[in-house]
Amino acid sequence: MYETVVREKTTVRSTVSTSAALVLALAIAFPAATRAHKRVNHQAQVIADFKARVDQYVALRKKADDSAPPLKKTEDPRDIREAQQGLVERIGAARSGAKQGDIFTPEISTLFKRLLRPQVHDKGTKAILKEDKPNPETVSFKINGPYPDKQPLVTSPPNILAALPPLPKDLEYRFVDKHLILHDSRANTIIDYIPNAIP
Amino acid sequence: MHLRRCPTYLVPIVLVVAGLAAAQEIALPIALPNAPTSLKFAIIGDSGTGSKSQYAVAEKLIAARRQFPYEFVLMMGDNLYGGSGPKDFQKKFENPYKPLIDSGMKFYATLGNHDNPNEAYYKGWNMKGERYYTFKPKAGVRFFSLDSNYMDQKQLDWLDKALAASGSDWKICFFHHPIYSSGGAHGSNLQLRAQLEPLFLKYGVDAVFAGHEHFYERIKPQKGIYYFTSGGAAKLREGDVGKSELTAKSFDTGYHFMLIELAKDKMHFQAISDQGKTVDSGTLTRFSDADKKKLSTAD
Repeated sequence: MYETVVREKTTVRSTVSTSAALVLALAIAFPAATRAHKRVNHQAQVIADFKARVDQYVALRKKADDSAPPLKKTEDPRDIREAQQGLVERIGAARSGAKQGDIFTPEISTLFKRLLRPQVHDKGTKAILKEDKPNPETVSFKINGPYPDKQPLVTSPPNILAALPPLPKDLEYRFVDKHLILHDSRANTIIDYIPNAIP
Repeated sequence: MHLRRCPTYLVPIVLVVAGLAAAQEIALPIALPNAPTSLKFAIIGDSGTGSKSQYAVAEKLIAARRQFPYEFVLMMGDNLYGGSGPKDFQKKFENPYKPLIDSGMKFYATLGNHDNPNEAYYKGWNMKGERYYTFKPKAGVRFFSLDSNYMDQKQLDWLDKALAASGSDWKICFFHHPIYSSGGAHGSNLQLRAQLEPLFLKYGVDAVFAGHEHFYERIKPQKGIYYFTSGGAAKLREGDVGKSELTAKSFDTGYHFMLIELAKDKMHFQAISDQGKTVDSGTLTRFSDADKKKLSTAD
């Protein structure tokens, strides 16, 4: 009995040490690959964190939505305006303590900036971002605050949308100057933003 | 008319009444076959300013209906500039097109960069509460309205499925940003082209209409697809159409709208200025599937 246990322990110990040696050997042989693997893992974690924060917001908005008549197809534009305004107020009340960085945490912001950097060098992207820009002074950058109704929304370049994690319906990435905003299009409100997201 | 003595709130009403009276008298040089069984529609782009120029084009559009009974109007986006409140809808849509709306005319809109995405909930624009949608006004013809302001993978997947499911002979897409354009201020949206054109070619899209550029341009067929830009129903960027190999015909010295007639494999088109003059007209033949295939792999 004792012998068997000792033999098993020895086998386990030898397997562990073989694996460790293998990992060490790989790390020595392929340091770049290991670093890249770690980076991918870290990136996946950050994106998962972002997704969880967005899902949390979506659940909150659903609650806000369910507590009043939803935005419906209508012949009267006043109904659209009232539903939008009502939703803004309910969202504001439900996340009254929200502040910049709640969704775009420093870690998420750093990753997003890294993902955006290579995209904005594209000539086409630069051209799209320059078109019909809103006057940044008219945007208050207040969390849960309105996006100014009279200002255009800058078109989101397709390559940027492809580079960033996808968003659920009615949430969008939009730019105001160099700042990336997370825009709730149904409430027409700013949920969070990354200041100076692009150079 | 003494507009100067008019209170501001009465100006749109006066313009509508004056427009109605004028529309009764206008005879436009309609250059379309006007066949009884064809599909007829009109196009306005970048129309929502509430300005005199919008009302002037609207007047001609209304007048055209008396001679050419189009069934619906496509709107190429920027349907409301500078706000999307009830008063904006009234001043920039309901008042200028009142006679058409009252007659039960259907409008199908696409969103521009000046539009609030919630405009999709406005029943008058038949967007079904969606930013991108499809409709089939007649057997053999299907339209696909896209949101070119936000072309994400979700929308591309939807378009892929919608085009694949369509058995219509005529597949017509419309959206705000042109993917072929000779405009100096904007020009072709190459990123959008890289995403959309492969789908257009894969499923044999026949024609594409866009706005955004404040002029009229008919592009030479690209890989078996006809492209039109019509973004001058209220805004004008005079002299902006540059010299380009893409252009078949352009007009950037006045406002305009378009009339289209589809009959079998022919598309008859006419662009008319705010002065009631024909800017461009002609007949295009839908490329056969075999020709489209050849052209799509030409270069």
